[in-house]
Amino acid sequence: MERKGLSYFNIDKLENNGLASDSQSQKNQVLLDADNVFWGITKSNNNSDALISRELLSLYERVKGKCDREMEDFRFSTELTAIYIDPTDLCNADCPYCYVPVKTRKYGRSMTQEELDSILQKIAKYFAGRPKKAVIIFHASEPLLVKDIIFKAIERFKNNFYFGIQTNGLLLEDKEIKFIKDNNVGIGISLDASNAVLNNRLRFSATHGGNFKKVIRAIDSFNGYEGLNVITTITKLNVRNLPVLVRLLHKKKVPCVLINPVRLTQKNARFLKPDDKVMAKYFIEAVEEAVRYSKTSKHKIIIGNFANIILGIIAPTARRLMCDISPCGGGRCFLTITACGDMIPCGEFIGLREFRGGNIFKDSIDQAMASEPFKKMRSRIVEDIAECDLCTFRNICGAPCPAELHAFGNMHKKAVFCEFYKEIINYAFKLIAEGKEKYLLRKEGFANLNYQYKLESDGLPSNRQSHKIG
Amino acid sequence: MSNKSLNNKNPREVSAKKADNEVKTTSYRLKCAKTANGLSHYVMYGDVDKKQALL
Repeated sequence: MERKGLSYFNIDKLENNGLASDSQSQKNQVLLDADNVFWGITKSNNNSDALISRELLSLYERVKGKCDREMEDFRFSTELTAIYIDPTDLCNADCPYCYVPVKTRKYGRSMTQEELDSILQKIAKYFAGRPKKAVIIFHASEPLLVKDIIFKAIERFKNNFYFGIQTNGLLLEDKEIKFIKDNNVGIGISLDASNAVLNNRLRFSATHGGNFKKVIRAIDSFNGYEGLNVITTITKLNVRNLPVLVRLLHKKKVPCVLINPVRLTQKNARFLKPDDKVMAKYFIEAVEEAVRYSKTSKHKIIIGNFANIILGIIAPTARRLMCDISPCGGGRCFLTITACGDMIPCGEFIGLREFRGGNIFKDSIDQAMASEPFKKMRSRIVEDIAECDLCTFRNICGAPCPAELHAFGNMHKKAVFCEFYKEIINYAFKLIAEGKEKYLLRKEGFANLNYQYKLESDGLPSNRQSHKIG
Repeated sequence: MSNKSLNNKNPREVSAKKADNEVKTTSYRLKCAKTANGLSHYVMYGDVDKKQALL
């Protein structure tokens, strides 16, 4: 059933414990077009009936066509901008929820220098002539197990690409940290809790017990490096620790943390599934910590995936992560090349053989992008998913994650953590209503955003109204 | 309450009443002019300062 037009909902005033307040001194109501994410927030200071201002409706009429076209282009563009490369299947850790199958991590293969260089040559040729440099991210399982070949590749191809590395940090010593900083490499380090006991249950390593000590030491060495992110996976074990973790990371000058619900693609992860409501409560508390630090201290800590939701509302086409839109970025904006050269839409599909779109050693990137598995990914849209098709937040949430849902039997289903996403999107609107979005984004990021349109109407008598449109 | 009924009210009470009835509306959309690394899609990793980024 097609459902186009504007939805209207209240943003509840949340107490610190996440419960709606019994008394509301102020009403924040949102008008939202779910298809193009046009929104307007109306604040009233009394308990009068809801009012939608004429200016808002007039603005909507004026801009809705452009917003429709932009969202269409954004959602269905197939311009690749990033490639993930898994230079090795192997890992020196054994996280209980890992999406890479155990056999792959223990017995898989690693690329040679020649193989990696040939892949990067091929990618460089694919992106030749484009105005923007592509991003290459060395990813799962543990890329620093083959750090020699990836560091040589970074040196060789530094003029062709921007590079990033995702690591558990166990092999990050001063020499590696210096290389990363000297070469402007982005670095994501995994850390799941603010203390060793809890963290090491989740980021376990047979050789080190866990990665906590190494990661804290590495974070201290990075000393606020702009390209540093910490990646935290939320499970039922660490969910209550999230605000404390943000506190620690801020103290350590980490500029950005991504705090994502565990993906349940592999069966072993399902025992660690957190409750949606509990997760929303502590995630929101973590965001509140981050906002507090943004307001009161010299440096911010950004919760990257929440910032992405904010962008999904205030600047939909500027969002960075592509998990919360449909079609998602997998097989569209980025793809993954596994250690044996298979091209898959996203690393989450690594255990799902039917999603291979080709092999980089014999097929072209264009062939992979045109393959049936990749097309299948790009055809997954919220309009075809029951409940999502009627959900007001459908183009802010995107119903993640197709790999996870495919593992449950059908990727055309709503998100495993649907209730969580609804709560945090509602919360995002609340923060925008309170004018707090500036505390949630990097200063430089915000500085790069320009207004397409802006309406601020103060509801005063018409001879005193001040509003800008355009 | 009609304007007529406000005619005999204290001006401060009138302003307070009008303030009570204020409705503020906000709507905007932003677009990315350019990012530090020139990408509209930048996955996970922090933007390295453009002046430091290699050309």
